[in-house]
Amino acid sequence: MAEEKNSKQRHHRSMLLDSMYPVVALMLVLVACVELCDAATVVDVYRLIQYDISGVPFGSRFSSLNHHAASLSFQHGADLSRSVLILPLRELDIAFVQDYISQKQSLGGLLILLPQTFRPGYIGGGETQEGLRVLLAQLEKLLLRTNIPFPVYFAFENEETDAMLADVKKNDALGQQATATTGGYKLVISVSEPRKIASPTITNIQGWLPGSRADGESNQLPTIAVVASYDTFGAAPALSVGSDSNGSGVVALLEVARLFSTLYSNPKTRGRYNLLFALTSGGPYNYEGTQKWLKSLDQRMRESIDYAICLNSVGSWDNELLVHVSKPPENAYIKQIFEGFSNVAEDLGFQVSLKHKKINISNSRVAWEHEQFSRLRVTAATVSELLTPPELLESAGSLSDTRQHVNEDSIIKGVKLVAESLARHIYGHQGKDIQIFADNSSLAVNRFYVKSWLDSLSQTPRVAPFLSKNEPLIMALKKELEDYTAEVSIQQESLDGIFTFYDSTKASLNIYQVASVTFDLLLLLVLGSYLIMLFSFLVITTRGLDDLISIFRRPPSRKMKIV
Amino acid sequence: MTLFHFFNCAILTFGPHAVYYSATPLSEYDTLGTSVKAAVVYLATALVKLVCLATFLQVSETEVFDPYQEALKAMIGFIDVAGLYFALAQLTHRNISQNHKFQAVGLGWAFADSVLHRLAPLWVGARGLEFTWDYVLQGLEANANLVFTISLAALGSLMWLRKNKPKTLIPIIYTCAVIIATMPSITSYLRRVMGWHFPKVVGFELMTSLVMAFISCQLFILCQRPSL
Repeated sequence: MAEEKNSKQRHHRSMLLDSMYPVVALMLVLVACVELCDAATVVDVYRLIQYDISGVPFGSRFSSLNHHAASLSFQHGADLSRSVLILPLRELDIAFVQDYISQKQSLGGLLILLPQTFRPGYIGGGETQEGLRVLLAQLEKLLLRTNIPFPVYFAFENEETDAMLADVKKNDALGQQATATTGGYKLVISVSEPRKIASPTITNIQGWLPGSRADGESNQLPTIAVVASYDTFGAAPALSVGSDSNGSGVVALLEVARLFSTLYSNPKTRGRYNLLFALTSGGPYNYEGTQKWLKSLDQRMRESIDYAICLNSVGSWDNELLVHVSKPPENAYIKQIFEGFSNVAEDLGFQVSLKHKKINISNSRVAWEHEQFSRLRVTAATVSELLTPPELLESAGSLSDTRQHVNEDSIIKGVKLVAESLARHIYGHQGKDIQIFADNSSLAVNRFYVKSWLDSLSQTPRVAPFLSKNEPLIMALKKELEDYTAEVSIQQESLDGIFTFYDSTKASLNIYQVASVTFDLLLLLVLGSYLIMLFSFLVITTRGLDDLISIFRRPPSRKMKIV
Repeated sequence: MTLFHFFNCAILTFGPHAVYYSATPLSEYDTLGTSVKAAVVYLATALVKLVCLATFLQVSETEVFDPYQEALKAMIGFIDVAGLYFALAQLTHRNISQNHKFQAVGLGWAFADSVLHRLAPLWVGARGLEFTWDYVLQGLEANANLVFTISLAALGSLMWLRKNKPKTLIPIIYTCAVIIATMPSITSYLRRVMGWHFPKVVGFELMTSLVMAFISCQLFILCQRPSL
């Protein structure tokens, strides 16, 4: 009898084992076919600037993000208020973005993917197409001037974002927009809400190089000032490196300071003019820093300034450099300055032109740095490659202003122009055919110096409200001027006036691949049926089939037993 | 949603143990005490193994398969077998038939193993937003492990508790036991030297566990015959 039971058991067991094989095989096939999903990826992202002008809000007003990803291939009329739209720059349609913003349609967030060539410090070939730069400039202008009620972030394309975008596009094209029930990618940026920056400081650095005073001269020596503003403003403050505006100006100023410090170090070649070098901040905000610096100067010192040369964007020009003035060209001083410049330019083989723009006292907009000098009755001119005066907050270090488009040769030519004309004026060699800073001499313009400072500045974002009081950049500039001038002083003021800024400029974006609820339910179903099958299998093999049936039909069998 | 996934993986990892207990006659004979004792023995064995591994093994930074290290690990793995022997042979159990004893011991052993090795990663990892297949695969591995442990317990009970075995079957019993006991080394060999990915390894484990279960079942039945 035991043998019978045993053989019956064996029979049942082998039968069930046979039927288990295909199920197991299917499970293994399923497991093998499904791709292993990627682990979470983390990408550095940079937020659009958030600022107010006289209380009117501009820029992106939110910073934290927790939504599903969507791409441009979404179905028309789909609700994107809980999605983040991913826009690569290459496929950007400005009209679409403009429409979206102007119609005030709600969007969970916007992520703009820029090609790697726009990354500060990007070394490597690949010329950025002009079209992309123009598009980027247009996009920036649009985003800066609007009040955007959702977070906007910039990121650089890499393999992971490309893969994610391709996946998202595929899903969108199939009509399965990513929501909580259909799975997809979830983008999470968890930062605190942006707060106002309490009192942003602007730091002006000035270096004073005294001239040689002959014995018995009681009058103060005249002074010549060379000024450049070093801070920037752009759509993404963490990416605003402003290689041309105004990194090139700063580098030119430092090189001129170095050349004259060599000249002035020897008492025999020290000129009869004092030299004042100033690196000012607050440039994009109507040159507020320059104004404050000028007002802080001693009045006698200010009156002793013969003229000031301001440098603004001298990094990407070829044949023509412009000298902008606010006093009429017939003015004797302006004539003198311009003649000096044109003589040197002729010798060096390029052209300078004079452009006159009257100051409108009632208009608070200060387009050029020299206007701040002119308002305080100091003769000044701006040397720049720009033809027209920049608008407020424009041409101050945008995203497309990268190192690749700045030419050291242009800066070197600009340095030669300024240095030679200053030297000829100081030493009284106007009109003479003398080259003081000739190439291959001990006073030659140092190309490596220019290049290394330009490279370094092109990797340092310099938006003034986000620079701390002891920022390494400011300390470095101060130290550099200390090497070349006799006295260096730092002036720190707070940026008051009509501008208010908000922090939170950089964040980390976490990209998760999430499974939909339907997937979880399906898995639950599969597991439930697996456990039930396992249960039945075990009951059958160990207790027999009758026991299994008896579990489900207990009441009738009891009744039958009683009967 | 992610707690849902954790729940799914948890029932995949620990469900079969509960199902096994309730489905087989184990629940009727109330062998929970045996299982608990086996779990405690497993904990003690794990502690001893940990100390031995820490003392004798060098941690290598790269995933290089060092035969000497692997042999050492395998030898330490036999402490597992010693623990199982202790749980089967030395502990006093209530009067339950041998048939059920090895099942209860194997079940307790496997449950403790799953909890110790898989509960913490599951709790920490499966609740996150990111979805991976890792935890589902881990659950499948736990299932395979359960089958392995019960087979090993069966073979162990054959080896140590049954005195009259057919002579021809003894070497087979011992070979199967050795194979099951060295399973961890085999899987690590596959993963490192052959470069198999996790799903493939889990698939291999499942297949082998079923094969081993079948073989040990047959052996058990063959050994049972003479006594009847």
